[in-house]
Amino acid sequence: MREFMDYVHAAFYQATGWNRDNSYAALNQTPDALLDFQTPRGLRLSLSSLASPNFATSYQVGSVGIVDGSISYLYSTEPLNVLLMPTSEHVSLPQLLRSYRPLAPLPMREGPPGTQTPFDKPDSSLLYGRLYLPQSLLEALVVKRISPALQLQMSAVSGSHLRNGGTAVGLAQYDVGRYALEGLYSSDGGLLGLRGIWNSGGDTTDPATAVKESDRGKPERERIYGRFSTGGEIYYGTLNKSGGVSLGTRFATLPEHKGTPLSATLTLNPLMGNIAASYAIVAGKHCSLATRMEFNVFSYESAWAVGMELWRKPLMRPVEETKWIGGRSFEAKLAWRLDEPRDALPTEESRSGNEEEYAGVLKTRLDQNLRIGVLWEGRVKSLLFSLGSGIDLRKLDKPFRTLGLEIQFSS
Amino acid sequence: MAFNFNWSPLTADADFYARARDLLTNALNKSPKPPIIVDDILVSELNLGTVPPDLEILEIGDLAEDRFRGIFKMCYTGDAFLTLKTRVQANPLNTYLDSKPSFTSPKPLAAASGLTIPLSITLSEIKLSAFIILVFSKQKGLTIVFRNDPLESLKVSSTFDSIQFVRDYLQRTIEQQLRNLMMDELPAIIHKLSLQLWCPDQVNKAADAPKPEEADEAGIDPFSSPPEDPVDSNGNPVDLNTLSELSANGAGEMQGLFSQKNLLRLGALTDSHRTLSLFTPGISDVVFRAWSGRGEGSDHLTPAIGTPSLSRTHSAIVGNSTTYTFSDTGSHAHGHLPSRPSLVSLQSASAGMALGVGGRARSGRKKKTRVVNLRRKRTESADNSDAMTETSASDTLSIDVPISEPLPANSIPEHPEAETMSDVGFDTKARFVRDEKRTVGHQPSQLTTEVKFEPEEPAEAAPEPVSETEPALRGTPDDAKPRMFKRANLGHERASASSDTSSVILEQAWIKKMAGEIATRIYDEKKRGDGPAFPNQTWTEHEDAPPAYEAAAH
Repeated sequence: MREFMDYVHAAFYQATGWNRDNSYAALNQTPDALLDFQTPRGLRLSLSSLASPNFATSYQVGSVGIVDGSISYLYSTEPLNVLLMPTSEHVSLPQLLRSYRPLAPLPMREGPPGTQTPFDKPDSSLLYGRLYLPQSLLEALVVKRISPALQLQMSAVSGSHLRNGGTAVGLAQYDVGRYALEGLYSSDGGLLGLRGIWNSGGDTTDPATAVKESDRGKPERERIYGRFSTGGEIYYGTLNKSGGVSLGTRFATLPEHKGTPLSATLTLNPLMGNIAASYAIVAGKHCSLATRMEFNVFSYESAWAVGMELWRKPLMRPVEETKWIGGRSFEAKLAWRLDEPRDALPTEESRSGNEEEYAGVLKTRLDQNLRIGVLWEGRVKSLLFSLGSGIDLRKLDKPFRTLGLEIQFSS
Repeated sequence: MAFNFNWSPLTADADFYARARDLLTNALNKSPKPPIIVDDILVSELNLGTVPPDLEILEIGDLAEDRFRGIFKMCYTGDAFLTLKTRVQANPLNTYLDSKPSFTSPKPLAAASGLTIPLSITLSEIKLSAFIILVFSKQKGLTIVFRNDPLESLKVSSTFDSIQFVRDYLQRTIEQQLRNLMMDELPAIIHKLSLQLWCPDQVNKAADAPKPEEADEAGIDPFSSPPEDPVDSNGNPVDLNTLSELSANGAGEMQGLFSQKNLLRLGALTDSHRTLSLFTPGISDVVFRAWSGRGEGSDHLTPAIGTPSLSRTHSAIVGNSTTYTFSDTGSHAHGHLPSRPSLVSLQSASAGMALGVGGRARSGRKKKTRVVNLRRKRTESADNSDAMTETSASDTLSIDVPISEPLPANSIPEHPEAETMSDVGFDTKARFVRDEKRTVGHQPSQLTTEVKFEPEEPAEAAPEPVSETEPALRGTPDDAKPRMFKRANLGHERASASSDTSSVILEQAWIKKMAGEIATRIYDEKKRGDGPAFPNQTWTEHEDAPPAYEAAAH
């Protein structure tokens, strides 16, 4: 289940006009969310709250054999309550749990330095800390926006079991919309990294020409309308003299696309000879599917995985509908007259049109080792729950490898 | 006495390799593997080579047809090799991420994608250097424990030799794994193999019994009862607390070594001796030392009938000629071996075990107690003088004997011998030029250092010093010690008339050396008497000591 702090973190980016999906690291985000979702282990309870518009807290207690927990705090310079629905009773489930997320509009910051979109809020920052007990592991994150296009991020972990007592990673992100660059340094092994992404097609074309195109050939745009993102990454460990390289490209449809939303990615690791292709599609109104295929040209090893996301409507709704469709009420029959037209109907209709109608989501995946992951997430009263299991079909005598339940309450 | 180690028959047995491979494969896959190794480790080739390891016998604590206990120093620089097959992760970024917390992960998109490569690793040029405690008994099989980390160096050659990073990583990882294997797993493997060889019935029993118990037994045996005066490999005395840490396994597990029932019965036995109860519980499945070693037992029984002092001297000689006891004497009772049989002959057989130390003190007569007094003082003097000498390895080893066994029944010449050892590295001839018997004592002492390891050779060499020392001994008739030892000599000749002449000569040489050594010791102490650490009172007591013993001897 998506943690509350992650949700708040995303809200911070939304509030400051930063698109965190416009990064090479997030290229595979959609298929990964459908194929590599985490299934909970053991019992976990979390209690979260947006105490003030700028401050959020979260407490978590878990038990997998032993009891452990964590305390986390988050402070943001920007008020978050405008964009965030903190209460678990009213939060929109698709917004919180949806795996297939359509592409967000690109921030257009091209031009002279300092150009910014109306949403940009430079000089905003975020502080986050989390202490795990009883391991005494401390996580810290600082995000600082330097200019409209530049953001610095520093994350660190301190724990006694780690070498040198902890690690820190510094990340500098530069995003002008059409392209985005990231440089990172990790204290562990002195890892240096550089990654970049270039967007083309779709909404990245000049707005003026885009309008002209849309005026001129609407049927052409009907056919396919999406954005190409191409990028690469390179890493080098200065201390252990090792490195890594990869290239990747993605095509994803934009929300304006009238046809079936889809996202296809292809990544290539020339050093290790690894090729991976993934494809995610919104197959129906309530269903998303994803597949991934990997192949290594050096070792001839291959891997595949398929995943599905299925949204469920609440049980009560069909009952209401049948009641409305079925003829006159008992009183009306007695009085030999038709039912009076109901005022409640339109509101009922509008509510069903709203996405808020969903009761929960079922996510499943299957990979080449015949391991199944099942996750059922939903809401009961004002509690969000997540029930999941990992099943291994190869070991039929003891198929349930993991089993877990996570319960979240936030206010 | 000679040992014959056959190295090649091990390699001739094809079945042996197959079994050893299986056991090694199991052992290697038991502990959690580092992230770079993604598959099980299979032992594909194993060859012990043609060059045997060099074994140096440091101590033989117990020796009989069916049991053996000793400490060895092993050095190995042979041509053995071992080939392992597994699959490894070739992407360094992948293994890098595995061990890092996800929060600070750089989250690469595809740069960390894995590439697993089949790998064969050959371990060769293995250099080992270790102190080994070897315990063998027909009932319990063979147990080997390393007292230190045996692995000195090792050459790891693999498919990745050209890549520096991977090669270093493999070298480091494999060395670590091998150290664990040597220290923890190898003793268990050898124990299992030995059980199959010598006592197949035990193997079945072990299979029936819960497994961990068996493993505990294998691992614990040498430490199950910590020695009273432990020394480490350098000869420095070890604190008992550190020893209990050394044994690594908790005290609770030690219980598993003994039968609970028998412990209860032994408890009942000691209780019954405390009271006037005549009840003697029978202890099943117990083999007493007195019954088992027939050859030794008869040797000791004869002098036991004679005067106590004689039997003591003799038994001590036996002890010295076979072993060089300096530690661990209390635990397995092998240190008491020479004196115990005589004791058992006095007591009822079953009571002998339980009474042990206490009964011996009580059985002593008046004469004995006077001997006790003398011995006590001498022990102290040995301690004191040793405390002043620098501690060479043999020195400290020998000190511990007097500390651990201040009891009257202990063998007398053990101390002279021990002191001899301590003096070898310390005394200078210039010091004793004045007195003849001191130089006499000094000479054989050098001889004995060789004697203890290779008894065959000194047996031939022994007569020479004898001829020299003999007149020297006779030349000092008023000294108490030589007289005593002549008596001892006499007693010994009487007791072991059947033994061959060479050993008699050897023992004579020993005795004379000891006599001279005691005299040297006393002189030494006198000379050092004015030192600050040595109170005057102590060595005046020693001056009185010889007459006291004389009285006891007559």
